[in-house]
Amino acid sequence: MTAQEAGLDGEFRQRVADTMSAVLARLLDRPEPVAEDMRLMEELGLSSTLGLELLLEVEDQLMILIDVELMDADQMRTVGDLATFVAGHSRPG
Amino acid sequence: MTALEAVSVYLPPVRMSVESLAGPLGLTDMQVKLFRRFHGLREVGRDPDPSLPALLMKAAAGLDALRGQEHRIRYVLYARTMPVVGPYPVNPLHEVCHALGLGHALAFTVTHQSCASGLLAIDMAGRLLAADTADGQDGQAGPLALVLTGEKAFTREAQVFADTTIFGEGASACLVSAFGARDRLLAYASNVRGDFDSDTGANDARLQREYRPSLAEVMRRALDEAGLTLDDIRVVLPHNVNMVTWQRMCLLLKFPLDRVVLDNIPTSGHVFCADVFANYKTACERGLLEPGDRYLAAAVGAGGAATFAAMVFEH
Repeated sequence: MTAQEAGLDGEFRQRVADTMSAVLARLLDRPEPVAEDMRLMEELGLSSTLGLELLLEVEDQLMILIDVELMDADQMRTVGDLATFVAGHSRPG
Repeated sequence: MTALEAVSVYLPPVRMSVESLAGPLGLTDMQVKLFRRFHGLREVGRDPDPSLPALLMKAAAGLDALRGQEHRIRYVLYARTMPVVGPYPVNPLHEVCHALGLGHALAFTVTHQSCASGLLAIDMAGRLLAADTADGQDGQAGPLALVLTGEKAFTREAQVFADTTIFGEGASACLVSAFGARDRLLAYASNVRGDFDSDTGANDARLQREYRPSLAEVMRRALDEAGLTLDDIRVVLPHNVNMVTWQRMCLLLKFPLDRVVLDNIPTSGHVFCADVFANYKTACERGLLEPGDRYLAAAVGAGGAATFAAMVFEH
């Protein structure tokens, strides 16, 4: 589903995705860029704990609060999936 | 049928904030923020008295149903997360038994299922009593078992578990009967996963991935055994590992989060094997359980291996 189809602010979603990619590259100590279609667990090896650290950093950087209680982690397969969720389930923090 | 006759819980009034523990535990600012923001852990209890027997006695002191019934106690089971809590020949359990006038009871410790040892102890107590009274006994006068839980957070390992939880001090005392009418145990399911040996850290990622599905599996198995479904369950009494785990468990199980008794996580943390008992008391105090309601208790013990356990009760 595209951001537009999901009724999301496309510009905000892109900021989320860009922030997430930059934070992920740092957390995973990865010199190559992190693309939106990369799978979080299988490809990037993201653990649950690092996943929470990622969300915390995104919250801090974008000054938002993410509704983590609504997040089905099993459905968040790629960086893009997570960015779409965050863009649709967050509020100014 | 195994039943809980009475439950008493002691949670120390002295609280330590997560921030105040950061220095002693060597937590980074990020870890503190994670614990507070996502894990929902604000503070944990610390009993000012350094004595473990004193901690257990505070829970037992609240067990009014024990008074005058000491002669009926045949077993005392002490369920623990930590296999070792004192140097030989110190034996906190025997000290407590003598102080309570239970020197005649067969007393032993239940360990090696970490924080799931409490549920194992209830099941074990009920089965021991049932085997002793196989010819049938009046539940009002039959033998009883006392199940104790509670530990001092006396080492770093006993204070914090990776980036997952912070342990709080507290204790519980529970009278168990084989044929009681109160809080009857309908089913118990557990899964001991030796392949999740955590000593080397080599299996941590796999444990994180399989943690929730494995817990859900034993919860469903206990329900199946009881002939029930989640729709029949009034409340879930969780282990207090953290908030986010139970938020995600509820999404997985499609069970309403507001029917999981999470009240004690922010203020008490993960109280070793006492969580389920503390949450039972909270459910009763909040009026969440009516006679006849079915509820589900769940626990995970991680450390050395992983044990996933669930029990279904009828109130």
